[in-house]
Amino acid sequence: MHRFLRLSILLAGMFSAIGSYAADAPPPLTTPDELGPPIEQPIEFPHMRHAGLHNPADDADPSKPATGGMEINCMYCHTYARRSMVAGIPPLRKCIGCHQSIESVRESPRIKKLFEYWDAKKAIPWKKVHDLPDFVRFNHERHVQRFVFQQGRPVQEACGYCHGDIKTMTVARRQKPITMGWCAECHQKDHPVDATSTKTTHGPNDCFTCHK
Amino acid sequence: MIENGFNRRDFLKVLGWGGTAVALSGCGNTSIENGKETVVSYVEPEDYAIPSIGVYFNSTCAQCDAGCNIEGRVREGRVLKLEGNPGSFINRGKMCGLGQAGVQAHYNPDRVREPLLRNGSQGETLTWDKALSLINDKLNGVKGEEIAFLTGGVSGHVKVLLNNYLDALGSKNHYAYEAVSPSVVRAANKKAYGVEMPRLRLDKAKVIVSFGADFLGAWVSPVHFSQQYAQFRKGNRPEGRGVLVQIESKMTLTGANADRWIPIRPGTEGILALGIVNALGAGIPADAVAAAKDYTADRVSKDTGVPAEQIIRLAELLKERSPSLVLAGAAAEGYAHGSQNAAAIALLNQVLGNVGKTVEAPANAQFAQITPTTGNRAALRSLNDSMAQGKLKVLFSYGANPVYTAPDALKLQDNLKKVPFKVVFAHYLDETALEADLVLPLDSALEDWGTSIPEYQVEPHLSIQQPLMERLYPNTRGVGDILLALLKQRRADEYKAYEDFYSYLRGAVVQNKAALGGAGADDDAFWNETLSNALVKLPGAAGSLSGKASAVGLTLPAPAAEVVAYPLRLIPSVSASMRDGRHANLSWLQESPDPLTTVVWDSWVEIHPKTAAKLGIVEGDIVEVASQNGSVTSQAYLFPGIHPDAISMPLGYGHEAMGRYAKGTGVNVFKILDPVFDKETGELAINETNVRISKVGNRVVVVKEEGPNGGSQLGRKKIAVKVSSDKVDLSKEV
Repeated sequence: MHRFLRLSILLAGMFSAIGSYAADAPPPLTTPDELGPPIEQPIEFPHMRHAGLHNPADDADPSKPATGGMEINCMYCHTYARRSMVAGIPPLRKCIGCHQSIESVRESPRIKKLFEYWDAKKAIPWKKVHDLPDFVRFNHERHVQRFVFQQGRPVQEACGYCHGDIKTMTVARRQKPITMGWCAECHQKDHPVDATSTKTTHGPNDCFTCHK
Repeated sequence: MIENGFNRRDFLKVLGWGGTAVALSGCGNTSIENGKETVVSYVEPEDYAIPSIGVYFNSTCAQCDAGCNIEGRVREGRVLKLEGNPGSFINRGKMCGLGQAGVQAHYNPDRVREPLLRNGSQGETLTWDKALSLINDKLNGVKGEEIAFLTGGVSGHVKVLLNNYLDALGSKNHYAYEAVSPSVVRAANKKAYGVEMPRLRLDKAKVIVSFGADFLGAWVSPVHFSQQYAQFRKGNRPEGRGVLVQIESKMTLTGANADRWIPIRPGTEGILALGIVNALGAGIPADAVAAAKDYTADRVSKDTGVPAEQIIRLAELLKERSPSLVLAGAAAEGYAHGSQNAAAIALLNQVLGNVGKTVEAPANAQFAQITPTTGNRAALRSLNDSMAQGKLKVLFSYGANPVYTAPDALKLQDNLKKVPFKVVFAHYLDETALEADLVLPLDSALEDWGTSIPEYQVEPHLSIQQPLMERLYPNTRGVGDILLALLKQRRADEYKAYEDFYSYLRGAVVQNKAALGGAGADDDAFWNETLSNALVKLPGAAGSLSGKASAVGLTLPAPAAEVVAYPLRLIPSVSASMRDGRHANLSWLQESPDPLTTVVWDSWVEIHPKTAAKLGIVEGDIVEVASQNGSVTSQAYLFPGIHPDAISMPLGYGHEAMGRYAKGTGVNVFKILDPVFDKETGELAINETNVRISKVGNRVVVVKEEGPNGGSQLGRKKIAVKVSSDKVDLSKEV
């Protein structure tokens, strides 16, 4: 009787171990770039329309990058990225600031929905696309200051290191694995200190930099 | 015992597999998540609001009556951390542990969230409208003298509304009660200096002799005094490094910091003070000489247990180094003759010529209607008597927990039942709130508006308390809002202009802007400036000290004879964290070790090792401490910092309610205190309880931070060497 009981407890322990391991395993790789799952947002926000290239001449050629965009700087909306640890979702007021005077799309379903939130003074419950575990502290400000302001790289390139080519997407979708190994890989590369310097350095590799 | 259970081998196997299972499954979110949590942006942010960057707002600490000015770090609409406000006159940018725990008082899981009405032994929720109209109904036809309001110490505009409300009800029964307050010293100061709280200049004194005033721990305004003490200890000030002598029966945090800690037989502090006056010899006023002439060093030494040469050396030290400062604290005042002790100590100050030098006059208070009303035990006693005689029909209670802090001998809990309708304004369901018929949930100090004036003032100022974040629970209300709503029931016309307490407060401050240094300023600009600083200077004429400590009427009883049945004296201790127990449900305070014993999460009984050896007690023995009025059991802790004739237990533990962290942690020492009162002020003589202790039989491991050998430093030999007091030559020391 006791032997049976012992066995069943052992088996239960093993199954729960395997089960929980399987449940926690990383999702299968979808692309070499480790594309995250598509995420349904309350409003299907078109990044390509806002950040996409603005070159009407290329519109006809499907081999050219997506165009018809406004080439708005990432930091115009994600204004906190250069000032704070978090990039921040733009406040609703920022969307309305422009859209109240853009009559041409005022009646489109997405914009109507946007104004519904605004009229109710309710925040839009966006889903997090890049939600790091709680023990990781990623600092947007440090990266934007380093690459955009010190090295003078284009904003979309700097943001794109981690977020991919956002200007081609509607709602954002994870493009990179964003694992520790992936972060460290870049931190080991030598970068010039600033736009004009020949001196190079690499990103910090202390545990404490991200885990504190 | 488990019979036929697993053997050890099987147990380990299961444990191993179970551990592996836990390790494999990990805990929580360990890799990047996509689209699970929401991120909520602002709709219309303030210009300064940047996510993840904290903004600091000034306010006022409500954790104790020192009224320190604080600033709170607010991030994404939540207050995260409190710091001292650098612009403060009291705490000058610093803060204590009790104040830090203010965020826990705010986020506490056991806060009352809805108005509750008694239904048998249960409370049922009701709306605010119903609660307020119920109060109105219950007050109808009740005479003014049958209504009473019990509070802690109050000041500021809440006090104004409170008094106006009582006035509207035709009642004069405002009972201000503080369970642990320096009210005997206040009365003695009033006599000796003409003010209850003179300004003390620890930083100017060359010697401080403190009779049990724990000014670094829990006495009056500890953060302010700690800073003065730091100045006092600096060798490079003109007066040189100061010397602190602490005289008390039970070592306090201040005693532990003193150059010389002198244990004294409980209750003989006044005798020692007169002994020092006597030993000062020539050059002191004649009446003092006359009063002290019988107190020769030998006699005083016999009475107090302090060696005669130490008394003489102390007098020499005080004569050599002037100005000095002599303080009387809880250890000296908690006796039936506490007022006499305090008077003798004040006389010593007078004789030493410290008045006017290290004891200064505070500025005269303006705006009498908002100056602090301090509490004492005498108020509780007279309230208790009124209740016992059935004189009260309606009782309001705010900021006091008398059911917990009253000794059992007063039978306060029974008397409270004689009041037909009791309204308690509560943050938590504490012991008093559980006795209430109606409980009104209060905003936390970080959600509420208010003003306060601390009792101990450096510069006269009005401190503003403002919300650092929105209410956590929609159905709590500020105490000012409740009082205003109640006032509107009675004096609708007078108060109809004020929509809420905020508008009342703003109106009251802005109306007086000329007197508050804002003459000619724009109303909005002045108000915003005031809120930004969270304090505003009050006009104050320089005060003066009147009165004079005199030896007239000073009679000190002989040291108490030993009571055979109860041979030990119980000295309840007030710790910096626990105070009178009002914050026992803050786990940070339970977790922070007592500075002297390092015990956490429990009460303890401090016993001198010699006494313990006599009784056969070792550390961790569960002992019963019995007085004539009850008994408690707790763990023994052997501690050389206590007089062998005394034992000590901390106050503030042993709640029967008040939330998950307070309930059942330790034992409540208030309960077993004998109802002995100071003869002049009526304050409870907190050190007048004689007890006996006996082992109950069990022994536990005392949970404490220090090592098993009481501070042996990681197995190294002790650094501090113990020297018995008769071998100490003070003349070489200081």
